Amino acid sequence: MELEKSLVSGSMALLVMKLLEDRDMYGYQMIEELKKRSDDTFHLKAGSLYPLLHGLEEKDYVSAYEQEATAGKPRRYYHLTGLGHKVLHEKEASWNLYARAVKQVLGGGACCAGA
Amino acid sequence: MQEHKTIESYLEMVSEQIRWKRARSVVVPELKRHLEDQRDAFAAEGRQNAEELAVEEMGDPVTVGTELDAIHRPRPQWGLLALTMLLALCGALLQIWLTAPWSYCYKDVDPFRTLTAFVLGCGVLLLCYFLDYTWLGRHGRAIYLCAVAASLLALLVSPRPQSFSFYAAYLTLCYPVVYALWLYTYRRSGWTGLLLAIAGGIPLAAICMLVPRTSSLLTLMFTGFVLLMAAGWKDWFGIGRRKTMVFVLLCGAVLVFSALLLLWPSLFANRRLAAALHPELDPTGAGYQANIIRKVLDASQWLGQGTWSTDVSAHPFEMTVPSCSSDAFLTTIIYKLGWAPFLAVVLAFALLAAWLLRRCLKHKSQLGSVVSLAVVMALCAQALYNMVWNLGYPLFAAEFPLIVGNTNTIINMGLIGLALSVFRGESIARDDRRGEPLPQPRYRIKISIQKY
Repeated sequence: MELEKSLVSGSMALLVMKLLEDRDMYGYQMIEELKKRSDDTFHLKAGSLYPLLHGLEEKDYVSAYEQEATAGKPRRYYHLTGLGHKVLHEKEASWNLYARAVKQVLGGGACCAGA
Repeated sequence: MQEHKTIESYLEMVSEQIRWKRARSVVVPELKRHLEDQRDAFAAEGRQNAEELAVEEMGDPVTVGTELDAIHRPRPQWGLLALTMLLALCGALLQIWLTAPWSYCYKDVDPFRTLTAFVLGCGVLLLCYFLDYTWLGRHGRAIYLCAVAASLLALLVSPRPQSFSFYAAYLTLCYPVVYALWLYTYRRSGWTGLLLAIAGGIPLAAICMLVPRTSSLLTLMFTGFVLLMAAGWKDWFGIGRRKTMVFVLLCGAVLVFSALLLLWPSLFANRRLAAALHPELDPTGAGYQANIIRKVLDASQWLGQGTWSTDVSAHPFEMTVPSCSSDAFLTTIIYKLGWAPFLAVVLAFALLAAWLLRRCLKHKSQLGSVVSLAVVMALCAQALYNMVWNLGYPLFAAEFPLIVGNTNTIINMGLIGLALSVFRGESIARDDRRGEPLPQPRYRIKISIQKY
């Protein structure tokens, strides 16, 4: 089943920042990692990823640097900054609240849970 | 939508959407490497037309290019540009207003030359502002060698009134930036790189001593030390943060100790220091300048011209205070206009320096940070030496940036333009860490204690 685009686009910044929480990555690696972690659900287009990454860099949520990858090719790695970590935690909390509320509504609502 | 079947044609279309040419060199290689990775992955899966599929996977080039164009715009530095020009204009007008009637006793007082220097300074400021400073980083060693060669030539051809080389003295104002560029080229070069980076300071220091220009020598040594410590903190040489910093500290200690050992007993150092601290011991000889500046300061008011009396001198101000149109120009401001205008000038410069420093400390790339830090330190050091001189302690000759002098105003405006070029290109500033080890994944360990 294909995911609706609008569902993914709103949370893409959160997903990309979450990927960078544990280690620095380059664009191609992020797309592959996202596919892997979402069991092939999220197919992020590179054309959407790079403007998003550059926008996050502009806001100082991530920083970028050139380095050789394990294969020896130079890559532009992205690193989650201190401010990025803070924003990620806020976004995560906000998303969890939203997801819980949606789940509750879809499940019949809090008022009807015990009915 | 127009079809783009090859990586080259796709990138060309993306590139066309990005108006800022300098941003293209940052964006396009990243997209190219991504497309190549994707093409190789499709090819490895055995799919036909791997390149075409990779391009298709990337999305519409016009949309991608337009989105990147909106993000990557130069950050104009109009505020800092305006403040720099305003300060330089203020300096030029003050020089013309206060020193023009003195042309009968000072050959170098010329309103036309002062105005020409201001106009040229503005031109150099804008030229450096639009310059791609990363080019300087890529050619750091060549720039260093050119600076050394030009200084040696200046030492040979410059007029030497009182054995002081004028042209070379002006070049030494750029040495902190030249050294920053030299240092940057030795990143990731290990112990050899660190030793060569430190050794690069020796020819520059030797030229400062040959000029002779003690203020430039001290600025170079202090800036060089700070930049080397900053490089150590970032582990530029790849030998470890602590090792680099301890080694630089040891080198600094040895240098200071040797300088004290060599200079302290020398007659020149003692005479200069004694004359600055106790001018009353030799008021007509070595202590004359300090003594007369202090007398003039005592005769000055908060606002308006000070009261000149025969206690200060039997001759007029301009015939009494040496270098009152250059090194001692701040004394002229204090005496002719009062302490309040002097403080206003100093505060305006302090505002510019603080603004530059704030931007420099917030800057993202290592090259940009060291270049702008070198500029700020060079400007602040000149201002500090000149203020100390004009407060009655004439130790090290320097001119107050943007306010005093012609050629040095042009050079200082160029240096500020370079710092502004760094801030202008901040959105595309990137560090090249090729050759450095890859950062390791971060792991978080959560320990929770539960009571049973």
